[in-house]
Amino acid sequence: MTTPLLSIEQLSVTLDNKKVLLDLNLILEQGDILGLVGASGCGKTTLLHAIAGFTKISQGQIIIDGKVLSNTKQSLPAEQRQVGMVFQDYALFPHLTVKQNIAFGISKLTHSEQVKQVKHLLGILKLEEYANKFIHQLSGGQQQRVAIARALAPKPKLLMLDEPFSNIDARLRTELMLEIRSLLKLFNTTAIFVTHNKDEVFTFADKMAVMANGYLLQFDQPNIICQQPNSYQVADFLQLGSWLPCLVDGIKASSLLGEIKLGSNKGSEQGLRYLLVKPSQLQLNEDVSANTIANAQVDYISLTEQGFHYYFSSLDGKSDKKLQFSKLSLYSHIVLSIKQKVRLSINPHAFLMFTKDQ
Amino acid sequence: MFKRLLTLSLTSLLLMTSDSAYAAEEVNVYSYRQPFLVEPLFNKFTELTNIKVNVVFAKKGMAERLAREGKYSPADILLTTDISRLVELRDKDLVQAVNSTILDSAIPTQYHAQDNTWFALTTRVRNIYSAKRLGKINLNYEDLAEEKYKGRICSRSGKHPYNVALVASMISEHGEAYTLDWLEKVKANLARKPQGSDRGQVQAIHQKLCDISLGNSYYFGKMLKDDKQKVWADEVYINFPNQDNRGAHINISGVAMAKYAPNTKNAKALMEFLVSEPAQLLYAETNMEYPVVKGVPVSTMVASWGDFKADGLSLEKIAKNRKAALTLLDKAQFDL
Amino acid sequence: MIALNNSKTWTLSNYLLALVLLIPVLVMLFGGLTASTQLFLHLWQSVLPRYLENTILLGFFVVLLAVFFGVISAAIITQTNILCKSLLRWLLLLPLAMPAYLIAYLYTDLFDYAGPVQRTLRDWFGWQSPNDYWFFDLRTLSGAALMLALVLFPYVYMLVRGAFEQQDQNLIKASRLLGLTAKQSFLRVALPLARPAIGISASLVLMETLADFATVQYFSVNTLTTAIYDTWLGYGDLGAANALASVLMLLVLFVVLAEQKSRKGVRHQSSRPSINKTVIVLTASQQFFASVFCWGLVAAGFLVPLVMLIIMVVDYSSVNQFSLLVSTGINSLKVSVIAATITVFIALSFGFYQRFHANKFRHLPLRISGFGYAIPGTVLAMAMLSTLGPVDHWLNDIASYAGLTSPGLILSGSLFAIIFALVVRFLAIANGTVVNGINLIPHSLDYAPASLGVSFKGSLIKVHIPLLTKTIFVAWLLVFVEAMKELPVVLLLRPFNFETLSSQVYQLISDEMLEQGALGAILIVIFGLLPIVLLNKSK
Repeated sequence: MTTPLLSIEQLSVTLDNKKVLLDLNLILEQGDILGLVGASGCGKTTLLHAIAGFTKISQGQIIIDGKVLSNTKQSLPAEQRQVGMVFQDYALFPHLTVKQNIAFGISKLTHSEQVKQVKHLLGILKLEEYANKFIHQLSGGQQQRVAIARALAPKPKLLMLDEPFSNIDARLRTELMLEIRSLLKLFNTTAIFVTHNKDEVFTFADKMAVMANGYLLQFDQPNIICQQPNSYQVADFLQLGSWLPCLVDGIKASSLLGEIKLGSNKGSEQGLRYLLVKPSQLQLNEDVSANTIANAQVDYISLTEQGFHYYFSSLDGKSDKKLQFSKLSLYSHIVLSIKQKVRLSINPHAFLMFTKDQ
Repeated sequence: MFKRLLTLSLTSLLLMTSDSAYAAEEVNVYSYRQPFLVEPLFNKFTELTNIKVNVVFAKKGMAERLAREGKYSPADILLTTDISRLVELRDKDLVQAVNSTILDSAIPTQYHAQDNTWFALTTRVRNIYSAKRLGKINLNYEDLAEEKYKGRICSRSGKHPYNVALVASMISEHGEAYTLDWLEKVKANLARKPQGSDRGQVQAIHQKLCDISLGNSYYFGKMLKDDKQKVWADEVYINFPNQDNRGAHINISGVAMAKYAPNTKNAKALMEFLVSEPAQLLYAETNMEYPVVKGVPVSTMVASWGDFKADGLSLEKIAKNRKAALTLLDKAQFDL
Repeated sequence: MIALNNSKTWTLSNYLLALVLLIPVLVMLFGGLTASTQLFLHLWQSVLPRYLENTILLGFFVVLLAVFFGVISAAIITQTNILCKSLLRWLLLLPLAMPAYLIAYLYTDLFDYAGPVQRTLRDWFGWQSPNDYWFFDLRTLSGAALMLALVLFPYVYMLVRGAFEQQDQNLIKASRLLGLTAKQSFLRVALPLARPAIGISASLVLMETLADFATVQYFSVNTLTTAIYDTWLGYGDLGAANALASVLMLLVLFVVLAEQKSRKGVRHQSSRPSINKTVIVLTASQQFFASVFCWGLVAAGFLVPLVMLIIMVVDYSSVNQFSLLVSTGINSLKVSVIAATITVFIALSFGFYQRFHANKFRHLPLRISGFGYAIPGTVLAMAMLSTLGPVDHWLNDIASYAGLTSPGLILSGSLFAIIFALVVRFLAIANGTVVNGINLIPHSLDYAPASLGVSFKGSLIKVHIPLLTKTIFVAWLLVFVEAMKELPVVLLLRPFNFETLSSQVYQLISDEMLEQGALGAILIVIFGLLPIVLLNKSK
């Protein structure tokens, strides 16, 4: 078995008496591109800083390519870690030209070697005509490329990118993502990129890690996480569906949309749970009568390429407050109006139930 | 808003300009002499006459300022410490003649201008101070250029008016070529670059940095009266040079009346006061200078330094050579 | 840019004001150009080359030393974890409160043959005369350079420290991830990016050095300033003196412009500075050397002279000096307060003009008025006399023509001349501070009041000026302190019965009698400390 490139074991970081990272475990193989997502303040940037060597760790260890970078006893200085970083604001040196920026990390090589490397990178990143320009003379996208070229020049073992696409025009974003991904694959560079936009992870990354409040919630391939989120937090953050509160009792669950029969393997669970409902799993019946009793009303309407997008909430009044729902999402071509009462039902599917607390 | 700004600026202007001298029964003095030297005299004057004395002291730039001010200058009286300055003021047409029998009779002829434009108040000698450890010596100014004094002479800046006057007197006596040569040789004999004051040079002799220095006579008395400086003065003899030939170089402190003086009557009164016995005695006792008025005794301390022969060279002649003296000092790069 | 106020009267008054401030300089230049060449030739053949050489050497050494002291101390304070960092951070500014000629005198006293240091050495080693041992002579060009550098390096320290603190920390992080150690990152990234701050502060130090005449005179170092004095007061040739002064001023301007040009086109500012800072951890021996360096500067530039002054006060002061102190103190205050207030007003006017006007030349009044700083005080005083003298004459002539009593020399003979000169000289300081403050106000605030129905004047009064309160205070303080310390202008322009603290202290120093005026000297220093302490608190 090959040693993984990056191995993070039981990593905890405490800053200013506050626990910022708690018991993180992560493994990356060579060539993996990891997309790290989470809300602001969840600890993503701290994790990057810990790997880079700018933050001391309080527990656990960080190992790259078999070499221990940080543990509780020692910490290798940042400049010796062979870890590269592309900063959110690029952090390009304003007093140096593009060429000089790129060559900055390989100054220990012979001059001819440096020239060769720089030329190579300028070519790959399509920056040849800007070689002698200064940073302020370039557009955002061009600066982005320079930042990447500069980080790649010293052939780092791990490349970290901090929100690399947040400053890029939406139209250019996809194009740039594909370009950089193919570049990383070409060099077989292992990379971690941080974003708060989960959609980028699908295009750009091989693996996905979801963080919240200093914890690593789930770490897997993106499609697996989306199909099998392991917790309410993960599913909610990734907006994988809407939530329907249910009272579970063994193999039955009751909700304001009716009874749900759970599979036998659910066993002896009892209490309030949340069902993850995707729009395709909801059935809409707009003819309400004595037989078809309304159980939801329209809160919000918008028009998308999939038809009307509706949010439904439970009707006011009688029922159990705990079971009330809102923002149940559905796409349909049926025309409804605000506050219109309808009847929703759930199509049978592999139910995913979660408890909310963690 | 604008009106307020206007009033504000006018009031500030008034505030700033309110310091120019105005009131009556005053006399305005521009003085090269230092406050503590002349204030006792002015206080006495005000005591006797009830005329207030306003003074501006400045080491440099007084004459130039006078010239700039022209006919609106408030200056009445000009007090200087050097003959060259007085003559320069006269030559620049910045002073006026004062006809006073008191002044004429009190001051010997060679110590006031023929045309009554300047008057000496005291005289002082430019002595050569020598270390007591050398024993008693008889020196001429010319001797300072001799090889045997190499590295043993200390002096203040050559450009200081006291030294400039001495150099001017050398030019009058020996001509420019000789004086330039003399200056270069003296410079070569200096123990250190010209710096400090006349008293500072005596301090240097005390510290054994050199053996010989130039200095005005009254400083000797002042040093002997000062706790800290007495030790320096005790280490030197005060010599009156050139006693075997023309005599020691004399300079004066003097007074003139400004050309456009607004308070001529008060100014004349002040001038006459300065040659009166109480004032001359103050000069003699407090400043240890030689009073210009005949019959006023020197202080006992000054008398103990002995009688001497003074260089009879006309002061006007010395003043005439001032510019030439400056030029030679530059040519010899004396201060550098 | 959208102009908010294109009023013609405002434009006119600003340009007029700038012109009025420029007039003394023009008079000086004109006087220089029309001077006869004879005296100039004589000087050139005798002493002028030497004076020039001394001036250039002095300027060079002072800048070198000041940059050395200032950059290293700024680096230590901002990049490392030196002990007592927060204390040292503002202590290093203290030498600014000491006038150079003051410490020159104090150190000469200290290291003189008869001073305590040499006496102790002689006691210990049994030496009898100066020939028995070698001891350095402070009264040389290098000595003068050291004195000036000790009190001027805080300018470099202050500006470079600010530059370091405002740098984008990500740049250092990027550099370290690219393989450079913290020290290398400092040398190859942080330091080059601080280049504008180093350049500007070095120019400032140079201007202050060339303006100094008291220190060099005391140390008998003959510079161009000596030449100017000689020519004017020795030879009495104002024209030639003006010519020399113009040369001096052009020399300064040349250096300043050359420095600006050399960094044109290269950007040094990053987008935004971040807050977290990684500090270099010093080993024990490094801590020792760094502390010695920083504390040494504070001691040499401030503490030691202060202690010496206090000893003098204790030993020599007498009661009758106290009343003299009060009167000279009040004079100093009067002049400085008025000058500072006027200067700040003008700076605000020029600053707002530049901000709100659409004219292509709106920067001009600001730029022009900044020249005064490059002119040494002596020269400016001369220019004042040359300018205000004739004006006074006209005024008096007009008055007599109109049958009114002659007002006398109300301009050149009163405080007006001093205050005018101080304003011209220090306007640059106020300009810089005020403009920086104005630039911090977002442009949206310029337009918002109008959208709420408030007039332009109202907007200035209700929005901008309140936002600028701290800036105004700082600018005022800086000019106030400089005016308190200023010497040549006061010496040459003062009216009757007028002594300031600085002129008083200087007079006593030249007579080797500082002991009598030690209390006054301490007062000057205390006033100099005020802005430093207050600025530090407000940060």
